[in-house]
Amino acid sequence: MSPTATLRTLVATGITHVVGLPDSISGPLFDGVSKHPAMRLVTVTREGEAFAIACGLWMGGAQPLVVIQNTGFLESGDSLRGTAQRMAAPIPVLITGRGYAKMRAAGVTPESEKTPALMTSTDVDTTALLTEPTLSAWGIEFARCEGEDDPAEALLETIEEAREQERPVALVVARKLT
Amino acid sequence: MLTAAQLLEGLARFRTDEIVVTTMSSARPWGHLSDHELDFASIDSAMGHGADLALGLALARPERKVICLNGDGSMLMTLGTLATIVGAAPHNLVLFVCDNGTFEITGNQPVAGAGRVDHAALAEAAGFRNVFRFDDARDYIESLPDVLSAIGPTFVHAVVKPGSEHPIARGPSEEVAYLRPSLAESARALRRALRS
Repeated sequence: MSPTATLRTLVATGITHVVGLPDSISGPLFDGVSKHPAMRLVTVTREGEAFAIACGLWMGGAQPLVVIQNTGFLESGDSLRGTAQRMAAPIPVLITGRGYAKMRAAGVTPESEKTPALMTSTDVDTTALLTEPTLSAWGIEFARCEGEDDPAEALLETIEEAREQERPVALVVARKLT
Repeated sequence: MLTAAQLLEGLARFRTDEIVVTTMSSARPWGHLSDHELDFASIDSAMGHGADLALGLALARPERKVICLNGDGSMLMTLGTLATIVGAAPHNLVLFVCDNGTFEITGNQPVAGAGRVDHAALAEAAGFRNVFRFDDARDYIESLPDVLSAIGPTFVHAVVKPGSEHPIARGPSEEVAYLRPSLAESARALRRALRS
């Protein structure tokens, strides 16, 4: 089922293009955008492409949103740095959070010390451990949406924040979209 | 054999109101030939992503042709972009790959698979609507009007002699005007130019 509240947020904020790669959290959003008359979906082969495409869209006057999984976010560092961040482009980024439930179940957090034992443990998915420290290290402002948080509301704030600050701003979504 | 100078001079002669995105070793020479408000250098950015930027521009401005002057080293970094372009199907994008087989500005070290990777064949297999291959200056110049007027996405594999461009950056000491502002300033300048 399409995440109707999230789609409403995209329409209300004038998002014209969604650029990225789907995962099990964002898949329904991709389905919804692909059928939406007011938005265009641009599916990439690798997440680094998404930031540069989004910057080209923005330079051309469009209002893109990047949607990628946190694994792909870790892959796309130089593109994010060299395009959206270097251009100070107001690109909102929805990063779906793989591994957060497993991380919570293991009783660790992104702040936990990255010991060799933790980084090789089958009890955790290291993607979740590294996502937020990486965002911080790269100087990307972000918020996390999980549990009872409202993803559509959090995305609205992320989009507004990116536009106000004229820079990329991320939302890490570690729950289902609504 | 075609030289990079012949390739760029030919394009400058036929270019009218297209957006031109340059990368790496094409950026400075293009700035010596053109001082157009729709020139944009993907310099001081992220190597390999010039074609992605051009794709975004093409999708945002379907009424205007977008030309990207990519290098073979840059193209090899993001071959997946060929599939992304075909998936998005911009009718107004012309992607040049200037194939000199080397990383020119770092001293012409060979790229992976230099002389063996067939970029035109890659583009054709990815599903580009038009694929051109040139290694002769006269053939290139004669075909350029057809290249630029074709309904895209269009791919141009230009096999050129290695040159001797030196490292490139942005800043007030750069030789050509469009490389003096920061990437952020250049992006905003292009955005304004496209709005006016």
